[in-house]
Amino acid sequence: MLELKNLHAKVVPEDGPAREILKGLSLDVPAGEVHAIMGPNGAGKSTLSYVLTGKDGYEVTAGEAKLDGVNLLDMAPEVRAAKGLFLSFQYPMEIAGVPVMTFVRAAMNSQRKQRGEAEVSAPEFLKLSKIAAAKLRIDPEMLKRPLNVGFSGGEKKRLEIYQMLMIEPRFMILDETDSGLDIDALKVVAEGVNALRGPGRGMLVITHYQRLLDHIKPDRVHILSAGRIVKSGGPELALELEKSGYDQILKSA
Amino acid sequence: MQLLDLPSRRSEAWKWSDLRAAMAGQENVLIGSGELGSEGPIAALAQVMGDAYGPSALEITAPGETFESRITEGDAGQYGTVVVKAGATATLVERLGVSGSRLRPFLPGYSRIEVEPGATLVRVVVQANDVAVGEADAAIVLNEAVVKLGKGATFRQFVLGEGSRLTRIETSVEAGEGAQIEMNGVYLASAKRHVDLTSRVAHAAPGVNTRQLIRGVARKGGRGVFQGKFLVERAGQKTDAAMAHNALLLEEGAEIFAKPELEIYADDVACAHGNTAGQLDEDAVFYLRQRGIPDVDARAMITRAFLIEAVPDWVGDELKAEIEARIDAWLGTPA
Repeated sequence: MLELKNLHAKVVPEDGPAREILKGLSLDVPAGEVHAIMGPNGAGKSTLSYVLTGKDGYEVTAGEAKLDGVNLLDMAPEVRAAKGLFLSFQYPMEIAGVPVMTFVRAAMNSQRKQRGEAEVSAPEFLKLSKIAAAKLRIDPEMLKRPLNVGFSGGEKKRLEIYQMLMIEPRFMILDETDSGLDIDALKVVAEGVNALRGPGRGMLVITHYQRLLDHIKPDRVHILSAGRIVKSGGPELALELEKSGYDQILKSA
Repeated sequence: MQLLDLPSRRSEAWKWSDLRAAMAGQENVLIGSGELGSEGPIAALAQVMGDAYGPSALEITAPGETFESRITEGDAGQYGTVVVKAGATATLVERLGVSGSRLRPFLPGYSRIEVEPGATLVRVVVQANDVAVGEADAAIVLNEAVVKLGKGATFRQFVLGEGSRLTRIETSVEAGEGAQIEMNGVYLASAKRHVDLTSRVAHAAPGVNTRQLIRGVARKGGRGVFQGKFLVERAGQKTDAAMAHNALLLEEGAEIFAKPELEIYADDVACAHGNTAGQLDEDAVFYLRQRGIPDVDARAMITRAFLIEAVPDWVGDELKAEIEARIDAWLGTPA
């Protein structure tokens, strides 16, 4: 489903020299699977999520990234989104003056329009929203407030997953979704994420810690270091990592 | 009346809105004879040129009335007085617009407004151009209101400025004891448009509460100007005043000039001002695009929300809808 081949990418800051962050990253996430990416700080985890979703300020110098056989790298971010790619941001943005529900409905309809589908009707939207909010234990009043403005870190993460449930993407990247969540919130969020697991969908879960993977069980675990996948394995690799740390694993890789 | 009577950029109050330069070559519209008095150039122009119409006077005594005035065409000024009698409530809607005169439109307007003790006035000024850009480019729109507030009076003002070759909407308020003031505004400066919102609030009596929020945007070749002054005189103890001006430069080559000023002579006051001019947050734009919203729509959505925060509910549903629709039209998004 998601195929990354020998991906090289530079971060290009507005002021300052470009630096190569991804140095030949290859990865294959088949449909229906959840893969975890773990790695030390600076390994390139967030860069990977931004390169795949098309954020400005990154330049792919070699390699390819395909979703369902289609080259992602040539597409505008909104086109990638309409193809079903979703990023749960590590730091969700605050959008002043735009209520959550207004925003999510606009997003859903933009995607549907791009795919040539009919818009979601107001009653249908409200019904879906109610179900998603209940699943994530989100106070419906919160959905009338401007997106993320004044929300706690945990609330913002819940809202990312709320958006995910509403948009029903085909491929999801979760960038450190566990940060800012207490244990109870983590469980709620994980349940929301697990609800979207299915044969036609794939997921890339980026995390520092094992604890998220207790709740979102990955099919494969990859260790990213210095811009490349240096080791891959089953869920047990995450446990091993938690026990012995990156240094140990990287030495043996 | 001649060109040299008009203020140029050498005059501090007009340094970003050079009226003389904007009028150069169009002196023929300056009709009437008279001197610029102490009231300032807009008052003088409106009076001298408005003789053809004669002064208007409006006295409001009934509660909840709405009056609407339009200045839309021609080379004539308009001036008048408005009195809101004690305890009355009124809404005054002033539309300044260019709708297609073949002459170069020159629209100076000047009003003296008195809001008596305990009375409330809502004043909404909509400066818009319902003509092709070329004609609006040529228009010069000047408007000034001098507002006197009695004890416990309320004055709420909202101004929408779409600009023209030169548009200046000036408000100066003298507040009585315990007066409540809200003065919001939105300006939209596209290419070749100049919008200047200038205001001055004199807090000359105790316990006045003033809130001002101005939001503006400019595109390449457009210029937005905000000049705001809060004066708190010695007698203005317990003044509570906050001024904010925030602007977005939507394209390279856009211009925003701002001069927020606080001048305070009383010692027991709470006064604040904030002033920002920047660009759209690209991280926010990316966030919306990642959710599937196309770039142009994402920018419009963020900009719209930014502007609409300055449009208060008290303008009323109908005007609010109209103002939002104008903002949407300006941003190029379907309403």
